[in-house]
Amino acid sequence: MEKKRIDDYEVGPLPSPRPLDRFGFVKQDVNSSPEGINRGKSKDELEREERKVRKWRKMIGVGGSDWKHYVRRKPHVVKRRIRKGIPDCLRGLVWQLISGSRDLLLMNPGVYEQLVIYETSASELDIIRDISRTFPSHVFFKQRHGPGQRSLYNVLKAYSVYDRDVGYVQGMGFVTGLLLLYMSEEDAFWLLVALLKGAVHSPMEGLYMEGLPLVQQYLFQFDQLVKGHLPKLGEHFSDEMINPSMYASQWFITVFAYSFPFHLALRIWDVFLFEGVKIVFKVGLALLKYCHDELVKLPFEKLIHALRNFPEHAMDPDTLLPMAYSIKVAKRLEELKEEYEKRNGKALKSADSTAKQNHSEGVSS
Amino acid sequence: MARRAEEEYDYLFKVVLIGDSGVGKSNLLSRFTRNEFCLESKSTIGVEFATRTLQVEGRTVKAQIWDTAGQERYRAITSAYYRGALGALLVYDVTKPTTFDNVSRWLKELRDHADSNIVIMLIGNKTDLKHLRAVATEDAQSYAEKEGLSFIETSALEATNVEKAFQTILSEIYRIISKKPLSSEDAAPANIKEGKTIVVGESEANTKKACCSSS
Ligand SMILES: Nc1nc2c(ncn2[C@@H]2O[C@H](COP(=O)(O)OP(=O)(O)O)[C@@H](O)[C@H]2O)c(=O)[nH]1
Ligand SMILES: [Mg+2]
Repeated sequence: MEKKRIDDYEVGPLPSPRPLDRFGFVKQDVNSSPEGINRGKSKDELEREERKVRKWRKMIGVGGSDWKHYVRRKPHVVKRRIRKGIPDCLRGLVWQLISGSRDLLLMNPGVYEQLVIYETSASELDIIRDISRTFPSHVFFKQRHGPGQRSLYNVLKAYSVYDRDVGYVQGMGFVTGLLLLYMSEEDAFWLLVALLKGAVHSPMEGLYMEGLPLVQQYLFQFDQLVKGHLPKLGEHFSDEMINPSMYASQWFITVFAYSFPFHLALRIWDVFLFEGVKIVFKVGLALLKYCHDELVKLPFEKLIHALRNFPEHAMDPDTLLPMAYSIKVAKRLEELKEEYEKRNGKALKSADSTAKQNHSEGVSS
Repeated sequence: MARRAEEEYDYLFKVVLIGDSGVGKSNLLSRFTRNEFCLESKSTIGVEFATRTLQVEGRTVKAQIWDTAGQERYRAITSAYYRGALGALLVYDVTKPTTFDNVSRWLKELRDHADSNIVIMLIGNKTDLKHLRAVATEDAQSYAEKEGLSFIETSALEATNVEKAFQTILSEIYRIISKKPLSSEDAAPANIKEGKTIVVGESEANTKKACCSSS
């Protein structure tokens, strides 16, 4: 791949001797690792994990050859297994199978390389500016001009050329960074394409469009869901004038990749790729539900802080995710979408056309 | 005023931090509120929030500061936070001329979305990078005068002028607020729920409600 020089004058972080967690993030000083993540695994657990991997291997077949067949025949089994977590050693491959990005890659040989080497993008400077600000505490990405940063740049630039309507939007780096920890540049690129433009389904389609209309719709839906599912908290939020854009934008824009513990983000991504954005609402509601009794007591500022810094024990996937799965949102989400469109129908259309006009201006900001 | 010790203040001023991505808004905020600078900071997605209580013109003022994502695409979300703000710190990077060129666009944003009497301060950040300076102090100074903004240059990294920048804008806000008859601190508290109101001296419609509604 092309060695793109990244001109950046800011002082780079010094190589750090600090210890890393099992995902390669620099460990925070105190109690950063939740129970059960860093302690050694018992023999029992190891055996259980091995069995799980064997089951998964059987399900997907050699190189993923049986996947489609299996999904068609037993979608519920697949769904259940994914919800329990994809084995880490198969994660990269399975994500590509679920999303259909494998097929995109096979159908478009050479395209990625072409985009990286020959094309230029209006977003190059914007991308460069954010490269060192994406997962800065991860060993793969922290080294200035290192392989991690270069891959991140290449994929984001290639995407911004491939999909000029979207270009580059802050937040995409965290999604891409997450993918790059599990697959090659080219695979990550096509997975990004699958997410945003569709292969099997496109769970992020429209998310990064001008005006972020979908993010705004999600925030509206989430606000209403809170009122419905957690009325007391919803009322407290209204009293304190708290609104989801103050804490939940990044949940939707990066699917929890921006600031959540990595082991939780990965589990959410497993489900997100198969089931779509619903899981983001469910996890968000589960978090609020889990912390409900604490949150209803807090005044405005403390509340905002709490909503951006959930306690470690609230973010244990094995407690949080079952809770999230038990919350039903699909039907209500549909209704709320209609309601949102009714309320904003006109405003949206006119915003859309001005967005298109503004688009050509291409201001770097 | 009868508030819990930690919540004691005479005024609560809402201020927004705006400007292009990467100019140092988030670090100015962390320098001011926590005296921290972070070379490994993440880019801001959406909005962030921090407060600090300090003495301004002999009064206890709580500054409630909203830090916003700089990218154009985010303005639909961030511009909702301009409303109800009494002050705006408009930041550019003295080593990157485009960020200074874009100041006029940001002013337009404020005119479109913020209250008309908002106090605006232009900040040229990263003065520590002396050898890379690309925007002359005089140019920014005269631009600020022309547009009626106050102006200062800062370094979040070296903590130069950061305190002064916030002090200056908060004092300016205070002077405007304290001239208004409604704004006397004796008149206000009756309507204010503890620790919640963003603005003293503005109409109730301009309190926190305004800042939080998304549009
Ligand atoms: N040399 C120098 N670098 C700075 C200064 N302020 C911020 N930075 C760096 O500029 C980059 C962007 O800063 P950030 O606060 O995230 O900018 P924002 O996008 O405006 O919030 C980061 O790498 C910071 O470390 C400064 O005063 N001097
Ligand atoms: Mg920022």
